[in-house]
Amino acid sequence: MFEKFFYQEKGLFLQSLHPVTAMTYVGVLFVLSLLFNHPLYLLGILGVIFLSIRAVDGLGYWESYLKFAVGMTLFIIIVNALTVNCGESVIWDGPRLPVIGAVTVSLEALCCGAAMGVRLLNVVSVFCLYNLMVHPDKVLNLISRFAAGSALVLSLSSRMVPMMARHLGIIREALVCRGVDFKKGTWKERLEKSTLPVTVLLSSSLESSLEIAEALHARAYGSGRRSCYRRDLTRPRDVLCAGSAILALAVAVWCRVRGCGSFDFYPRLGFLVADSATLTGLLAIILLLSVPVLLSWGWRYCPCLRLKI
Amino acid sequence: MFKIENLTYFYPDALRPALQQINLSIGEGEFLLVAGGSGSGKSSLVRVLAGLIPEFYGGRIAGETYFRGQRMSKLDGRQVAREVGMVFQDPEKQVVMTGVEAEIAFGLENLGLPPDEMLRRAAEVMGFLGLTSLRGEFTASLSGGQKQKLALAAVLAMQPRALILDEPTSQLDPVAAEELLNLVKRLNEEIGLTVILVEQRLERCYHLADRVVFMTDGRIVQDEKPVKAALWAVEKGFPFVPPVARFFAHLGVSPVPLTVQEGRKLLPTSFTFAGSQPETAAKAAPRPATVVRLKDVWFTYPNGREALRAVNLEVGTGEFVAVVGENGAGKTTLLKIMVGLLKPGRGKVLSGSEETADSMRRDRRPAYLSQNPNDYLLRETVEEELLFTLRNHGLRDDGIVDELLRRLRLDESRRRHPRDLSSGERQRVALASVAVMQPSLLALDEPTRGLDPVLKAELGEFLTGLARSGVSIVLVTHDIEFAAEFASRVVLVFDGRIVSDGAKTRVLGESLFYTTQMGKLFRGYAEGVVTVKDALQRVAPRAKSGRVFHA
Repeated sequence: MFEKFFYQEKGLFLQSLHPVTAMTYVGVLFVLSLLFNHPLYLLGILGVIFLSIRAVDGLGYWESYLKFAVGMTLFIIIVNALTVNCGESVIWDGPRLPVIGAVTVSLEALCCGAAMGVRLLNVVSVFCLYNLMVHPDKVLNLISRFAAGSALVLSLSSRMVPMMARHLGIIREALVCRGVDFKKGTWKERLEKSTLPVTVLLSSSLESSLEIAEALHARAYGSGRRSCYRRDLTRPRDVLCAGSAILALAVAVWCRVRGCGSFDFYPRLGFLVADSATLTGLLAIILLLSVPVLLSWGWRYCPCLRLKI
Repeated sequence: MFKIENLTYFYPDALRPALQQINLSIGEGEFLLVAGGSGSGKSSLVRVLAGLIPEFYGGRIAGETYFRGQRMSKLDGRQVAREVGMVFQDPEKQVVMTGVEAEIAFGLENLGLPPDEMLRRAAEVMGFLGLTSLRGEFTASLSGGQKQKLALAAVLAMQPRALILDEPTSQLDPVAAEELLNLVKRLNEEIGLTVILVEQRLERCYHLADRVVFMTDGRIVQDEKPVKAALWAVEKGFPFVPPVARFFAHLGVSPVPLTVQEGRKLLPTSFTFAGSQPETAAKAAPRPATVVRLKDVWFTYPNGREALRAVNLEVGTGEFVAVVGENGAGKTTLLKIMVGLLKPGRGKVLSGSEETADSMRRDRRPAYLSQNPNDYLLRETVEEELLFTLRNHGLRDDGIVDELLRRLRLDESRRRHPRDLSSGERQRVALASVAVMQPSLLALDEPTRGLDPVLKAELGEFLTGLARSGVSIVLVTHDIEFAAEFASRVVLVFDGRIVSDGAKTRVLGESLFYTTQMGKLFRGYAEGVVTVKDALQRVAPRAKSGRVFHA
C-alpha cells in the first residue's frame, strides 16, 4: 500500500547520479526555494522541479504530494488574506470580528499568500523529487563515512518502521479474532483498546532487538575500526550536474545581493520585472538548474550523448 | 577445526545448565548436522562455536572450546567473526541494511577491509549465489527465501572457515528451503567449507551431512554417521530421523537408505505391496454438514494483486483440512477470508447458509491463529490470556480454561507470564487463547513453524482431538509431512486458485513435489502411501530378497 512512497529503482538518468551530485542538486533546489520570494523566481523553480519529477517518471507520485500541498497553499492564501491588513488595494471590506478586528482582503495579501503557497509547493515537491531520485541506501552510505553509528540506526529504522506498521496490522487482526472490537465503546475504552496492539508490538520488538543485536555482533559490528564500502563512481554527468547546480546557487546569491530575487508585496505590489538584471538572473538560474533535466532528455534520446556522459 | 572439552554452560540467572559436559570435535570441511528437541541445547552449542557464548550472552561456563588449536576465549571478536560465520533462523532479524549490496558489504566494513577487497568479495559472492540481479533492490522487497540467501551471502563475503546455520529454513517454503540447503552443500563440496547445521525438518538435509549429533537436555546423546545414527534413533524411539530412513530402519534394512533415490532402488526387489486404498471406505461416508462455504470468491489487494481467483471451497464439520502451496499463492488470504478478517471483492462466504458477517455474530465464531504466537501474548499470566478472549466474546468459563490448560500441558504455567515461556509453550498458549472460544472453525497459519517433531506431534494430536469433537480445522502449512500425518484432506493452492482438493492420499499421492518423502518413495509402487504408518501397513519385505533385514 505504501510502496509508492518509497524510492523505486527505474534505471533513469537522474537516479544514476552519484549521491553527492543528487544531494547537491536537490539541496540547491531546496535552498533557492527558501531564498527567493519573487513570484517569477518561485514559479521558475517550480517549473524546473516539475520537469525533474517528470524526468524520473514521478508525475503520478507527485499528485499524491500535491493533494496535500495545494490544500495547504489555499489555506495559506486564505489565512494570509484574512489576517494581514497591510495592503492598500482592498478588494473586500468585511465585518469587524472579536479578537481579529476588521476583516479586509487586499490584493497584496492575496498575492503574498499565493507566493508563500508556491514556496510551500516547491519545498514539498523537492522532497518528492528527493524520494524519487535518491536511493536512501546511497545516502546512508555517505553518512556512514563520518557517522557509522547514526547511519546504522537510520538504516534499521527505515527497515523496521514499515515492518512494524505491517506487524501492527497483523496484531490487530489477531485481537479482532479474540473479540476485541476497536470501534465499540466509549472513547476511553476505545483508547485503551488501541493501546493493546502497541503493547504487544513493543514487547515483541524488545525481544527482537536482542536477536538483531546478536546478528550484528556475529558480523563483527563494534569489533573495532570500520572501513567504508564505496560503490558509486563519478561520471562526467556528475561534474556537469553538480557544477551547474553550484553555479545556479552562486548566481542566486548574486541576485539576492543585488535585490533581484526579492519582491515587495506591501503596501502596494512592486513591478514583477523591475530591471533587466531580474530577468537575466532568473533565466540564468533556470537554465543552470535545467542542466540535469536536459541531460536526462539527451541521455534518453541521444545515444551519442549517452555514451559520453 | 573445533574441539570442545567438558563444556558446561548456564545462561545468566539460569539454575539448570543449557549445555552439560559437552565433548565434541569437528574436522575441517566436515558437514555436521545437529538435531534434537526444543530446549535440547542445539542453539546454545552452535553459539558456543560462533563465539557468542559467553561473549554476547554472558552466563557461567566451564570447560574449553578450541578453534584451530587456539582457545576461543583468547581470540578477539573480530577474529572469531572473520573465521566463523553464522546464519540465524529469522532473516528479518539479521538483515540490517536497506539495500542488498550494502547488506553484503556491512560485515566487510565491520572487519575494516580496504574498499577494493570489499568490492571484489561482494561481487564474487553475489555472482556465486545468483544475487547480482538483486544488487540494487531494497531488502524489504525481497521474499523470505531471497532474504535468507542474502543473509548467507553477507556471511560468506566475510570468507569464514566455518559456516554455522541455526534452523535457516524454518521460515521458508519448501522450494526456497531446498534451494538454500543445496547452496550450503555446494559450498561444503566445492570450497571445502566446514558446515554446522541445526535443523528440525530433517527430511531435506539429513542425507547431506557427514555426521549427525543428537542432543537431549543439553547433552550430546549420539554422535555418528547418518546411517548409524538413524538406526540408533529408531531403536531408541528418538523422533529426529527423516521418514525414508525411519521406514527402512523400522524394517531392519541395513545399510539404511537415506534418500528417496536410494530407497527406490530397494523397493522392486526387496518388498511386496498390498493394493487397497485406505480412503475408499471414507468415500462412501456421508458428507458432514458445511461449516463454511466459499462461492466463487475473488480477492484483490489495494496494490492490484489478485490474491484469490474464483475460489470455491467447502469445509465440513470436524474436517481437518491442510492448505498447501508456494509462498504468495494466496493461502493466508484464503484463511482470512474464511474467518471474516477480509471481505471478498466478489463471491460469497457462507457459514452454513449464512454469510460470514452474520455468522460472526453468532456464539461459535471462527477462530484464527496467525503465524507468530507472540502476537497473542499481552496479558500478565497464561490463564489471563484465555480469560481475556472469553470476556471479549461475552462467554463464561464453563471449565474450558482448565480443560485446555490441562490438554495443552500448560497447567503448571498458568500463573506464569506468557513471555517467560519457551517458544513451544508460547505456541500452545496462543492456540489455547483462540481455542478457548470453542469455535466451529479453527484456522491456523503455519502453526508448526519452528516446532520440533515431538511438539509437532503433540499439536497434531490436539488438533485431531478438536476435529473429532466437531471443530473444523483448516491449516496453512509448508510442512507436508505434518499435513500427511494429521490432515484428512489437502487443498493445493497455486496463484490464487485451488488446483487440487481431496483426500490427502489422493492429492499428495498425485503430486510430484507437494508430497511427502514416503509419497515420493512409493510413487508408482503403492499409490496412496504418504506416511511411514501407511507404508508399514501396506508394504512387507520379500522373503528372499538378498537384503539384510534385522528383526
